[in-house]
Amino acid sequence: MIRFEDVSKTYKGDVTALKDLSLEILKGEFVFLVGPSGSGKSTFLKLLLRDEVATQGRVLVAGRDIGRLGGWKVPQLRRNIGCVFQDFKLLTNKTVYENVAFALEVIGRPKHIVRTQVPQILDLVGLTKKADNFPTELSGGEQQRVSIARAFVNRPLILLADEPTGNLDPATTVGIMRLLDRINRTGTTVVMATHDQRIVDAMRRRVIELDRGALMRDQVRGVYGVGS
Amino acid sequence: MSRLAYFVRETLISLRRNLLMTIAGIITVAISLFLFGGILLVSATVDHGTQQWKHGIELEIFMKTDATPKAVADIEAELKADTQVKSYTHLTKADAYAIFKKDFKDQPALVESTKPSDLPESFRVAPLKAELTAPLALKYKGQLNVDTVITAAQQIKRLLTATRWIRLAFISMASVLLASSLFLIVNTIRLATFARRREIEVMKLVGASNWFVRVPFMAEGLVQGAIGAGFAFGLVWTLKIIIANLLSNQHTLLSTFRVTSADAFGIGILVLIIGAAIGVIGSIVGLRRFLEA
Repeated sequence: MIRFEDVSKTYKGDVTALKDLSLEILKGEFVFLVGPSGSGKSTFLKLLLRDEVATQGRVLVAGRDIGRLGGWKVPQLRRNIGCVFQDFKLLTNKTVYENVAFALEVIGRPKHIVRTQVPQILDLVGLTKKADNFPTELSGGEQQRVSIARAFVNRPLILLADEPTGNLDPATTVGIMRLLDRINRTGTTVVMATHDQRIVDAMRRRVIELDRGALMRDQVRGVYGVGS
Repeated sequence: MSRLAYFVRETLISLRRNLLMTIAGIITVAISLFLFGGILLVSATVDHGTQQWKHGIELEIFMKTDATPKAVADIEAELKADTQVKSYTHLTKADAYAIFKKDFKDQPALVESTKPSDLPESFRVAPLKAELTAPLALKYKGQLNVDTVITAAQQIKRLLTATRWIRLAFISMASVLLASSLFLIVNTIRLATFARRREIEVMKLVGASNWFVRVPFMAEGLVQGAIGAGFAFGLVWTLKIIIANLLSNQHTLLSTFRVTSADAFGIGILVLIIGAAIGVIGSIVGLRRFLEA
């Protein structure tokens, strides 16, 4: 599903974010991406979204070299990749329902699809009762559920999560992780960048550790840090 | 269909959010296009007039005011015998006074103090061929008792020079204003994209096509340009009516000048197209920064 082939990324001013990274993530996997700040996690996710293009090497998603994708095809790629962030990125002037529906409307999905898909996904994340609330009226955990609903409503092949629990307390975090696990069980590949040692240790999923842009460790049922 | 509804809704929301900038953009588009359309309309009017002159070029021979009837009759006889003259009309002192009264009707004191006898008699002459105007003028200018000869060409040339300069001045002014209206629209669109940067971020994230993101902003620019141009259209039409009224009261040299609805309509359409183009170009420039990102 995702393949990095000798990928290097250098930003302006000779800042090396990734160095000769090669790895493969299969369809349906759940992968934790760990490492200290500046280790290249964000660049890894940006390359997948084609926010950035690799300086060297190839990044393949579903068999296609996305570095060679024409600019006008990028939206098509992003429709297949859902994305969740630490700061949720919800639109405060829209209700929960409208935030989720927005993701379908702007890619031109017809009304009847929106009307059936949005309630379904809100049910999945457990927010049916809050459909008409505004994001500011929700707790952090609920807001992150809305953001997950929005990322998943189009049934993408891949779900990327960048520190999705970074702003949440431990109890709420558990709920979010359960939700991501459920989404993973539907066959969606999930890649989650995180600093949260406890969840990585508790979930026992594949762990990819980056350090200064290089692959430090790729462990099938890993924990956060070696020796922890 | 739902997509169209989406575009309409988003465009209206954005126009309302930036109401002041929107109005500023509309006004400058309207003023600049009115200047542009107005001068085109005046030019068209003058063109009609000069076209008339090409067919029946006239020159006017003014006698000295103290010329005796005998002297006037001599000139008339000479004109009648002249093979180069196709036709002529004799304007008596009374005719001259009638024209004078009309030309200076807003200065009654002047009209009051002027008697018909103060004015010269004259002959309006149509030569056989246009090329004969100059030699004819020369010939009669030298005659005893002839004060001066005015050829249509002289007057028209002066008018044409004047309109050429006026046209140049107006078109430069209109260009400057058009540039500033473009700038205002670019700015409005930038503000609009800034106000909606979070929405745009989410749209790009979930894979909305670039056109989908762009269309509401382009529609916003288009609406501004088109509304401004609509006002300009109305003003050009008003100008046409004013010119038509002015001309209908004239029986002098300007009597050959005409303004037609077809002129005004054609110019109006041109103004609308330019307005719409400015709106769209403005939004494309305004969106450029966003497109690069």
